[in-house]
Amino acid sequence: MLVYSDADQNSLPVTYADDTFHFVGVTPKETYLSTRKIIHAAKETGCDGIHPGYGFLSEDASFAKACEEDGLTFVGPSSDSIEKLENKLTARKTIRDVGVPIIPGSDRPLKDDDDAVAIAQSIGFPVILKAVYGGGGRGMRIAKSAEEIRRFYRLTRMEAISSFGKSEMYIEKQLASPRHVEIQALAEKRGHVVVLGERECSIQRRHQKLLEEAPSIGITDILRSALSDAAKKGLEASGYTNAGTVEFLVDDAGKFYFLEVNKRVQVEHLVTELTTGIDIIEEQLSIAFDSHMNLSQNEVKVRGWAINCRINAEDPRNEFTPSPGKVIHYHAPAGPGIRVDSALYSGYVVPEYYDSLIVKLAAYGRNRKDAIRRMKGALNELEVIGIPTTIPLHQSIMTEKQFNDGEFSTTYLDILGPRLQKTLARLEENAAALAAANTAITMPLKNTWTHRSNWRRFALHMHRRGW
Amino acid sequence: MRTYRVQSDEKTYDVTVESKNKRECRVEMKDATIECVRNQPEEISTWAVRREDKRFHARARSLGSNRVEVWIGGLPFHFTVTPVGVAYVEPIRPTSGAKSGEVHAIMPGRITSILVKPGEEVSVGTPLVILEAMKMQNEIVSHKAGRVTSIKVREGDTVRKDDVLLQIR
Repeated sequence: MLVYSDADQNSLPVTYADDTFHFVGVTPKETYLSTRKIIHAAKETGCDGIHPGYGFLSEDASFAKACEEDGLTFVGPSSDSIEKLENKLTARKTIRDVGVPIIPGSDRPLKDDDDAVAIAQSIGFPVILKAVYGGGGRGMRIAKSAEEIRRFYRLTRMEAISSFGKSEMYIEKQLASPRHVEIQALAEKRGHVVVLGERECSIQRRHQKLLEEAPSIGITDILRSALSDAAKKGLEASGYTNAGTVEFLVDDAGKFYFLEVNKRVQVEHLVTELTTGIDIIEEQLSIAFDSHMNLSQNEVKVRGWAINCRINAEDPRNEFTPSPGKVIHYHAPAGPGIRVDSALYSGYVVPEYYDSLIVKLAAYGRNRKDAIRRMKGALNELEVIGIPTTIPLHQSIMTEKQFNDGEFSTTYLDILGPRLQKTLARLEENAAALAAANTAITMPLKNTWTHRSNWRRFALHMHRRGW
Repeated sequence: MRTYRVQSDEKTYDVTVESKNKRECRVEMKDATIECVRNQPEEISTWAVRREDKRFHARARSLGSNRVEVWIGGLPFHFTVTPVGVAYVEPIRPTSGAKSGEVHAIMPGRITSILVKPGEEVSVGTPLVILEAMKMQNEIVSHKAGRVTSIKVREGDTVRKDDVLLQIR
């Protein structure tokens, strides 16, 4: 059974679902963020549980609690463990206590901007001001000096209140150019944690991931097993169940720091599914409903390489502003190792109310080179006509040397900037050529001169003489 | 050869287009030669574009009054395309040569049978040729009365749209 808002009534999931429940309205607040309405819909249609997906209420402790109280199985961790990890300061403490390194920073909420400056000076600039209850790249700001902290303090605090409903903030040191590496894990109620390998998610824009890979090209086997151990210990210590991801930052010396726990299945889980052959959603359901998973650690084998490109309805020529609207033509690539997760179809109107992610395009290969080659082909085949998308951004990345060499960090997009501009300029040139070709072929010059007109002969004569 | 001024909101491109036929053309611009091949004409036509060793696909449609919309690599582009100077105009070949007596293929396909012989008298509406396209048999009929002077195709031939099939005088 699927709940949907007015804005999603023409979506494919609604067409394909066994049963649906309609919410009047379009805004998240009156639809997908309404705990009351969702619980009501579930009870009304006889559901025994709720899978929260990866947006909206998927990491909301009070929503999980409401499910528990109403006798509905929440597919995810318990409300207690969400609560424990929701507060970033508590999460940092839990993780530090099991011996996992955390990024230097404050271990209590900031009192005011003076307090923030004092802590920043003791750990060194630059620093990141962060909302204690934040997530998803929002409610955070980088400050390079005491003045910047004073300038951003109020702003970030307001953002924290409006996005997360709580004003507390803390401070973390900003690492120079780290990699973002995360461990995918599955945990069952007996405290048994299985890790499914890591994902490399360094390619980001404004703390939003754009491209993910499994495995990571930037870490050694020693670091890989250190990260896995740290993730296991951290999840066991917080009594975690179901699918979860432990995120780390790795600096250029190979030192790693705990970043946060994602208490849900993630957008990029498909790359792990490709390299392990494990259906993470199916495991989530087993853990939630049968209290066990069908899997032991020694059954997990990571094979080959997978890359995911997030295709967003955003205009790369216009600072990536969202570009909702009608898709007049859609064609998805296929072939060995290609996976397309998308609900687009020709004629679909991408609503303006929700996330701009419209296609997850993943390529799997025997090795990284193979996966990149397949991704290039798939990006060329993928057609989303009608709204601007981030396809050219990914095409630009796929042919860029540092990406191909595996030498990149979270600052990669700064390097890519000028290259992307070149790609876009070249696209426009090609488009201009095609516009002329289209005109030449489809609209032959109207022959306003009649065949035997002397005027035409005269004009031709003048033209040949160079007029 | 035709010359066009192609303008986007910010830039102007001066290009020349040399069309080989109704599908293929070569576009010369400042630093590049770009070859364009059109598939079946549709409201939004699909094109294969080649620049140096790279080949990719794109879509284009005319929006009327010199406006052209092009889709390439996931992005829309809008241009105004204006012919420059008085270029040589290729005569537009009529699809059925009312005056010349040429009978043309109305669509691309394969000749499955020829129903007339040279020298045969035909009248308006006499079936001349069966042209198979998309698994459908299409009867090509005579548009004028007269005598078949020559037949340009043989059974089994593949023809393109507008190819001359036979001549009637």
